[in-house]
Amino acid sequence: MSKRRTKRYWKSLKERDASPDVLKARADEFPERGPRQFRRRDFLKATGFTLGVAFATGCSRAPVQRAIPLLSQPEEVVPGRSLFYASTCAGCSAGCGLLAKVRDGRPIKLEGNPQHPVSHGGLCATGQASILGLYDSQRLRHPLKEGKKSSWAEVDREIQAELANIRSDRGAVRFLSGTITSPTTRAAIEEFLKGFPDARHVVYDPLSNSALLDAHEQTHGLRVLPRFHFDKAEVIVSLDADFLGTWISPVEYTADYRAGRDLEAKRISYHVQFEPRMTVTGSKADRRFVVAPGEMGLLLTHLALRIARKAAAPLTPGAPEAVSVDSAFLDELADRLWHARGRSLIVCGANDLQQQFLSNYLNHLLGNYGPTLDLKQPSLQAQGSDKELGGLLAELQYGKVKALFIHGVNPAFDFSFAQRVDETAVLARYVLPEQHYLESWNDAEPVSGLVSVSQPTIHPLGDARSLVETIAAWNGKPKPAYDLLREHWEAEVFPRQKKESNFDAFWDRAVHDGFAEVEPLPIKSKQFNAQAIRPILKAQRPEPGAFALALYPTVAMLDGRNAYNPWLHELPDPITKVTWDNYASISPAAAQRLGVADGDVVRLESGDQMLDLPAFIQPGQHDQVVAVALGYGSKLSARFAKVGPQWLDAIVSVGDKGVVGLNAAPLLRWSEGVLQYHGAQVKVSRTGRQRELASTQTHNTLTVPRKLTPPGSGPRPVVQETTLAAYLKDPHAGVEDHEEKEDLWPTDHPYTGPRWGMVIDQNACTGCSSCVVACQVENNIPVVGRDEIRRNREMHWLRIDRYYSEAESGQIEVAYEPLMCQQCENAPCETVCPVLATVHSEDGLNQQVYNRCIGTRYCANNCPYKARRFNWFNYAHDDQLQNLVLNPDVAVRSRGVMEKCTFCVQRIQEAKIEAKRRGEKVPDGEVETACQQSCPAQAIYFGDLNDPNSQVSKMMANPRRYRVLEELNVRPAVGYLTIVRNRPPEGREKSKEEHHG
Amino acid sequence: MAEAAIALRPPLIEGDKSIAQVTHDVCAPMEARPTALWWVALLISFSFLLLGAAAIAYQISVGVGTWGLNRTVGWAFDITNFVFWIGIGHAGTLISAILFLFRQRWRTSVNRAAEAMTIFAVMCAGIFPVIHTGRPWFAYWMFPYPNTRGSLWVNFRSPLVWDFFAISTYFTVSAMFWFIGMLPDLATIRDRATAKWRRRLAGLFSLGWNGSYRAWQRYEVVYLMLAGLGTPLVISVHTIVSWDFATAVLPGWHATIFPPYFVAGAIFSGMAMVLTLMIIARKLMRLEDYITLRHIDRMCKLVITTSGIVGLAYGTEFFTALYSGSSYEQFVFLNRALGPLFWGYWTMVGCNVFVPQLLWFRRVRAYVPAVFAICILVNVGMWFERFIIIVTSLSRDFIPANWFHYAPTRVEVATLLGSFGLFFTLFLLFCRFIPVIAVAEVKGVLKYGKPRLESAHE
Repeated sequence: MSKRRTKRYWKSLKERDASPDVLKARADEFPERGPRQFRRRDFLKATGFTLGVAFATGCSRAPVQRAIPLLSQPEEVVPGRSLFYASTCAGCSAGCGLLAKVRDGRPIKLEGNPQHPVSHGGLCATGQASILGLYDSQRLRHPLKEGKKSSWAEVDREIQAELANIRSDRGAVRFLSGTITSPTTRAAIEEFLKGFPDARHVVYDPLSNSALLDAHEQTHGLRVLPRFHFDKAEVIVSLDADFLGTWISPVEYTADYRAGRDLEAKRISYHVQFEPRMTVTGSKADRRFVVAPGEMGLLLTHLALRIARKAAAPLTPGAPEAVSVDSAFLDELADRLWHARGRSLIVCGANDLQQQFLSNYLNHLLGNYGPTLDLKQPSLQAQGSDKELGGLLAELQYGKVKALFIHGVNPAFDFSFAQRVDETAVLARYVLPEQHYLESWNDAEPVSGLVSVSQPTIHPLGDARSLVETIAAWNGKPKPAYDLLREHWEAEVFPRQKKESNFDAFWDRAVHDGFAEVEPLPIKSKQFNAQAIRPILKAQRPEPGAFALALYPTVAMLDGRNAYNPWLHELPDPITKVTWDNYASISPAAAQRLGVADGDVVRLESGDQMLDLPAFIQPGQHDQVVAVALGYGSKLSARFAKVGPQWLDAIVSVGDKGVVGLNAAPLLRWSEGVLQYHGAQVKVSRTGRQRELASTQTHNTLTVPRKLTPPGSGPRPVVQETTLAAYLKDPHAGVEDHEEKEDLWPTDHPYTGPRWGMVIDQNACTGCSSCVVACQVENNIPVVGRDEIRRNREMHWLRIDRYYSEAESGQIEVAYEPLMCQQCENAPCETVCPVLATVHSEDGLNQQVYNRCIGTRYCANNCPYKARRFNWFNYAHDDQLQNLVLNPDVAVRSRGVMEKCTFCVQRIQEAKIEAKRRGEKVPDGEVETACQQSCPAQAIYFGDLNDPNSQVSKMMANPRRYRVLEELNVRPAVGYLTIVRNRPPEGREKSKEEHHG
Repeated sequence: MAEAAIALRPPLIEGDKSIAQVTHDVCAPMEARPTALWWVALLISFSFLLLGAAAIAYQISVGVGTWGLNRTVGWAFDITNFVFWIGIGHAGTLISAILFLFRQRWRTSVNRAAEAMTIFAVMCAGIFPVIHTGRPWFAYWMFPYPNTRGSLWVNFRSPLVWDFFAISTYFTVSAMFWFIGMLPDLATIRDRATAKWRRRLAGLFSLGWNGSYRAWQRYEVVYLMLAGLGTPLVISVHTIVSWDFATAVLPGWHATIFPPYFVAGAIFSGMAMVLTLMIIARKLMRLEDYITLRHIDRMCKLVITTSGIVGLAYGTEFFTALYSGSSYEQFVFLNRALGPLFWGYWTMVGCNVFVPQLLWFRRVRAYVPAVFAICILVNVGMWFERFIIIVTSLSRDFIPANWFHYAPTRVEVATLLGSFGLFFTLFLLFCRFIPVIAVAEVKGVLKYGKPRLESAHE
């Protein structure tokens, strides 16, 4: 080429000195190929090779993942379709029936079993949330020996060897458990303990009702819990028994209570509540009196005196001191009770023998044993005995007990067989994991004569074993729980009935229904023994300046068994609306006296025990009572250190001790052999520290602050209520009418097919919050943690607003208003979304299109109900096991999108598809929203408003119906029924009222 | 006659400038090296800008949850800042378009800077609608662009979509107006430039301006037409912004008074901001002869006029609430004045209604530090006006159970500071690289070629 290129460059001396041939050869990458030309033949060769290789590789088998369908597909299993299995809830010992919704082999939702005679289709918050326990990744998967992983074979061998030693040494064996209603398990334990010379089964309930049982032992000769029939009671007097909230069997009692207060059937009971603090039950009472715990017995005496006088029964108490409740009212109440003999009910929640005696005595005088307190078919839901627990504790102190088995309770916490590693499990030598109730066979007999079945709904996760199997193994007869159950049923349960002659048929029906009704166990109560009754003449009052302590369980935590459950920590308390903490509730007057405000940390001192808790000012509480929730501060809640979004300003959900709340159990008192939840004297003082409580509702009343009240305006008509007297005159009483406004525009939405609507009976709603959890499970609603709640960013689509008001009598009244998206016809949210992410469906839903939403939040701003929820962050879904509980029919939302209630549109769609397949309209009652399904009070009606015969249409036509913020003309599809308070009649109405009383 | 009329009016530009002097006065600072003061100012502004950028980056990567918003108060700092900046932007167009059409020639000294301020303010404002969304990477869905997502289109009933149109139109027209008005001056820079890059750049942007009669004639026509186009925008933009609130159902938002009320408020805050900037600029850049006390005086008069309108609107709102008979509406206004954010409300009333009353006094108008202080307070007051309107209405609406307060987080405060950082950074760069005063227009109001005033006085 040109001369300029002759200049030679070299990289090494070797190269420089090499001959030109070598260099040339090096420059040519393919030296032997000769001239580098791609010829026609080369092209064909290459093409042939390529094709050949392509064919050859294409023929080979790709690695096969063995996702083979079942060899013989079970007839009923269709991928994508849900199956429902009847089972029994083991969230507490109440034994409610449930239906487990199983989708593709995993349970995803629990629904109440409408046929179940105990729960009547309801399921409480604990029951709803118990499904998360199944998918708890921190659940124990294998036996532990001295804190280390072990195997069942090893553990069984060692324990059996130890037991043999103890047996030969005649050592004491104790089996400590909570109330076990399972007849099979009880029989197994009995058999197991029979093998030892000195063995006893000690039953205790962390939320003890021991005195109630003990009292019946003395008055009726039977240590049982009567079955209360709130539906048959026309006058209900409750002395601090929170039977709608947490007391023994709230779902059952709520259903019964609601049945006794059915305005449509013209039945409404009269409910009087005496209590030291505001409870769920007290919030529903027609008359509620704030009575200190120490005065409760005196009050009972006063009542007993009046009734005894009417019954001409001998009760000579001497002179009881005066009681704070108005004596004229007590006279009137006694009249009412006497008038409703055999149709009234007195329940006493105090774990105090004397008070229970008096309560029994009252019920006895009123002839309630039989009609409203059933001793022939008693309840088995609480069997614990504090006396026996005390005895055991003494034995343990002396080191007398050689082997202690603990099942299902956490004595180290509230004063092991365990699903998780809790306080007790840490102390135990062997910790044996028990299966979750949704993965094992079991039974329950919550009420004598009603045997309920639990069946597995999923292949067991982890290497756990049910209690019956374990005991059978130790009895030397290892068998699967299923066989044990069937054997026991064939021998013991089957003979108790006569309907079925074939055991297999009986069994199959029981498993299908979830329960079987058989003859109750034969028991005989003695004549009422009034010997034990000793009137209480004096009130126990705390020293001036001191407070009486009231320890109570919350709907969410109960005794602390739910401390592992994030849904329940995030569930706002029905009354206080506080989440993720326990606190010291004090009355507004006491707060003023102490100079504390909400969130000021106060120190409670009782004896040598001390507890620093944030204060919470609670209207309707006794001025000398400080109330603290039990069940908090459990080790199980340490896992929530990282719950919720983690960002710059995030605050952890747990307290200083690394757990949620603080355990108040050290303040419990033993007194006369029973656990005292009430009455301990505490000193309350300020610490000067602050801990802001995470509440979902910060404003308490419907009346705006006085200085901001426009002249002439009363409370906002958001909640509408009336009294029974007014209701009987005019069922429309209390409803604020709004004229139908004329529209400028033609109707946007013709609704030619169905139009979905809902009616909520506020009179029935007890605020129990089961619907809130049901909605959370059904709709994959994330848990956001304490800090986000504190910032008012909870995600619950359904909330229950709680308002206080003051009646003429000065009593603090509560109104609950469950509020979700109202699916407005003139929806303010729909017009303002710039990207059409929220649109109206032809069947009347405000649909939310998550994929389209860009998150301007304009819709939420413009929602008068503030029913919309925004994903402020990406909420964690990291726990793969926990993700199994997600409902596959509902999208998991990402951050930045708006979400809200859509009347469980996935359920509507499922029903519509099914109806279409059958070629018919969706029948009324076919679609049940999650909240409606689980409501123990059946306060929610849902269905097609375009069908005049549907239940919801009929309820819409109810004269009590109003709509929230109707005056805005947004035309919500949710109606509310007024609260009707059964107020004591006045003047002329008296005779009329008594008729219905 | 003409002479007498002119004689009665003091000159708009003081100092008896010659044409060359004007050119020199405006261009010389740009050609010299920047002063230390400028560097310090830029450094501070830019630091704030970076702070804001970091805050926005953090917010976008983590979520809107990093702001203090909640399920009751869905908008607060974000939309407050948006409306505030849009409002600031209003004075520019008012000065350039409306005052141009009304032949208010005193505008020539301030219009360039005012328009620049408009554009920068709209840029600041434009950030907020984007970053306030939960998924800003999809914010473009608000724009009705042809897409392959089936029939998905924007919701023409939503004021946010109108907002988008209003603001983008406003920005486009304002930028165009600014640029067209700058052509003769860019040509001046080009002609004076010694540095090659400056000559080339100015040459490119001056679109081949040659100063010919034809160029001038076309320029005047285009400028007039753009002024005509810009005028309705002064009214429309803030009217539409106010619809974001007025079309909602919330008490305190749902009010027909909003469009005029917002427009007046916007002009009010814009004027105050122009004054603030001008007072700084005339001092720093020694433009006292161009931006004279007479300019300040006139702008002060505009401020007090709009302050009156705004004050009237505040009063009318209360009257409407009372007259409506709606207790929700009445409560909202009582809550504004006496509720938890009462201090914000009274800051707003104090700064927007009471403080500007001082401007009735000629001596106050002539005392520049006082005017400056008043203008700063007006800006504070106008920011609070938007904040109060948005937050009080949201935080306590119909259902008391929903009531919740709002407090900003560090991230939000940093974002607000960042928007000021952006604004001042842009403004400082503008001062360096673009003639702050419309040289060609100012030349038109010089005494040059007109009867000598001195003789008229004598």
